[in-house]
Amino acid sequence: MFLKLFVADIKMMFRNKQALFWAFMFPVLFSFIFGFFFGKEAKSGTIAIVNNSKTQISESYVTALEDANIYTVKKDISLEEASEQIESGKIVAAVEIPESFGELPNLSERMVMMQGAPSDSNNIEIPKQTLKIFLDPANAQANAPLIGFTDKFLSQVNLTAQNASEIFTYEQEKTNNKDLTYYDFVLSGILGLSVMNSSITGIAIAMSKYREDKILKRITTTPVPTWAFILAEVLSRLILNVLQISVVLSIGIYFFDANIYGSIFALVMATMLGALLFQLIGFAIAALSKTTDAAQGMGTAITIPMMFLGGVFFPIDSLPKWLYAVVQYFPLSPLLKILRNISSEGASLFADSKSLYIVCAWAIGVLIFSIWRFRLSDE
Amino acid sequence: MKRVIEVKNLVKKYSKTTAVDSISFEVFQGEVFGLLGENGAGKSTTLEIIEGLRRPTSGEVKVLGFDAQSQKKQIKKKIGVQLQSSAYYNFLTLKEILNLFCTFYESKTEPMDLLRMVNLEEKANAYVNSLSGGQKQRFSIVASLVNNPEIVFLDEPTTGLDPLARRNLWNLISQIKAEGKTVVLTTHYMEEAEALCDRIAIMEKGKILAMDETHKLIEMSENPFSISFVLGSKIDKDAFSKVVSCGEIENIFGKKNHFILRIKDRACLNKALPLVMKLNPDSIQVGQATLEDLFIDLTGKVIGE
Repeated sequence: MFLKLFVADIKMMFRNKQALFWAFMFPVLFSFIFGFFFGKEAKSGTIAIVNNSKTQISESYVTALEDANIYTVKKDISLEEASEQIESGKIVAAVEIPESFGELPNLSERMVMMQGAPSDSNNIEIPKQTLKIFLDPANAQANAPLIGFTDKFLSQVNLTAQNASEIFTYEQEKTNNKDLTYYDFVLSGILGLSVMNSSITGIAIAMSKYREDKILKRITTTPVPTWAFILAEVLSRLILNVLQISVVLSIGIYFFDANIYGSIFALVMATMLGALLFQLIGFAIAALSKTTDAAQGMGTAITIPMMFLGGVFFPIDSLPKWLYAVVQYFPLSPLLKILRNISSEGASLFADSKSLYIVCAWAIGVLIFSIWRFRLSDE
Repeated sequence: MKRVIEVKNLVKKYSKTTAVDSISFEVFQGEVFGLLGENGAGKSTTLEIIEGLRRPTSGEVKVLGFDAQSQKKQIKKKIGVQLQSSAYYNFLTLKEILNLFCTFYESKTEPMDLLRMVNLEEKANAYVNSLSGGQKQRFSIVASLVNNPEIVFLDEPTTGLDPLARRNLWNLISQIKAEGKTVVLTTHYMEEAEALCDRIAIMEKGKILAMDETHKLIEMSENPFSISFVLGSKIDKDAFSKVVSCGEIENIFGKKNHFILRIKDRACLNKALPLVMKLNPDSIQVGQATLEDLFIDLTGKVIGE
């Protein structure tokens, strides 16, 4: 009997094309959107280079900028066009390389033998040559890498030109020595977000609709135990969650080279734990709301604040202290902590026991509430 | 006759209102028992308490010898329930729904047999949404038969149906009765209760106002007989006043020259009939009172839909 209920629930879920579409639409959309912005191919925008010089230095500047993959580089453009496009926001910056930039006696040769032996041209007086960078001040964030890059490049050229070498330098050391991008951060967030949205609103709406249509009541007229009905519903939705998780992870890994250091299995299990908690919240909402519309509203009222304050898109530690003190206990926050621990640190599901306790405490609390208040039919 | 349902002093109170106000009745095996009353009279609440879906505030309910509170499970196995305007799953076919419900009862009933019974074999692979109102209702009733129940509860089975679909359902219900099952139904249609029920309890504001076999109830009416007649444009006033003295005259719904005379007993009827004939009516019809007349006598009002 239970198995048949479960199979029937699965059938209904996959036949309800519209609901199914939305269950996948958001995870897919978010994975791609964030992937395009912050995934491996993501660039900070387009810049124009007006290269009036044909020297080796100017050419290598352009090539290096292209290879750095920070921007899409537009060439074959006049300075007037470029500044118009900056104003209209089509490109973020333009670089004008003046005629004969990099034309120096012997300089080209020196470039070739950058690490070569010192020569005697050290003391030759050379007139200053200046690159011009045109920026849109409103776009500081997108411009910063260009300035940094140009600065670094020219310092290198200057050193070479003067036949000097760096004495004081620095090394970058990342705290966890792993290659992690913002996309990796947000991908775990999208995992949590997907199961949260589809489980909370999914269960809340489905149960309220069943109640409105008196399907729940009809079930209670039969000898089917309530637990069997609910368990079949929960399990069938967990199947949907597994599919959602797979889709998000596949998009992240195959399209945008997301870095996942922990075990995928642990990641899936942790997400499922979250899905279970969110389904329970869905039942609690269905218990509290009298109509489907009310359930939908209440579901949204819970998921939207959690989406922004639970740490899906931004690390919540950057919130004001008093706010952080509260939101860190939202059901989604500890779940995302566990997910990120697994995916970026390679930790186990049980590594962050505090977060795990919070998730479990929520689950037990909501479960007790649902058992107390959720009824298939009113009495 | 074997009692299959016994209700004693049943009370159901909600915070401020009393939905069911200390009612008692019995239902016997094999009969069609009707609860008749307006919306909100307490019919559905009574039914749902008997089915074990609601908890009574006080009183005793026994179904097939089991207590409706403590032995719900045993009862649920042996009864079939059609809920008022109940929908079924949206994305399962009729056959799949019946199959699923069969497994709820571990019943061996063949879904196609049930569908054939209500002429829905062709819709076996359709969703409930694609059915007409009458078909939905037929399906809903047949779905209550999956466990071959001893008692079938039908809550307003024909509400909102067109006359033809309603007749169809009446046939279905009499078919269920013919199989030896007991049927308990609620309705606010007088003619439906009259046509289908062996016994009727008339409910109003949570109380049972009258309960008896259907024909006896009708005879309880103050004026069990009636003559309705249509007169021409010229009315003999003297003859008309003689007619009026035989009973209660009513101008039907304000229609010009269309009257109904309600009569207390057979003697009066015999006296009134020739008097009406003298008026030379265009049309005349002698009839019995209906359940509706009794209902109006009892409650002082007409049932509104």
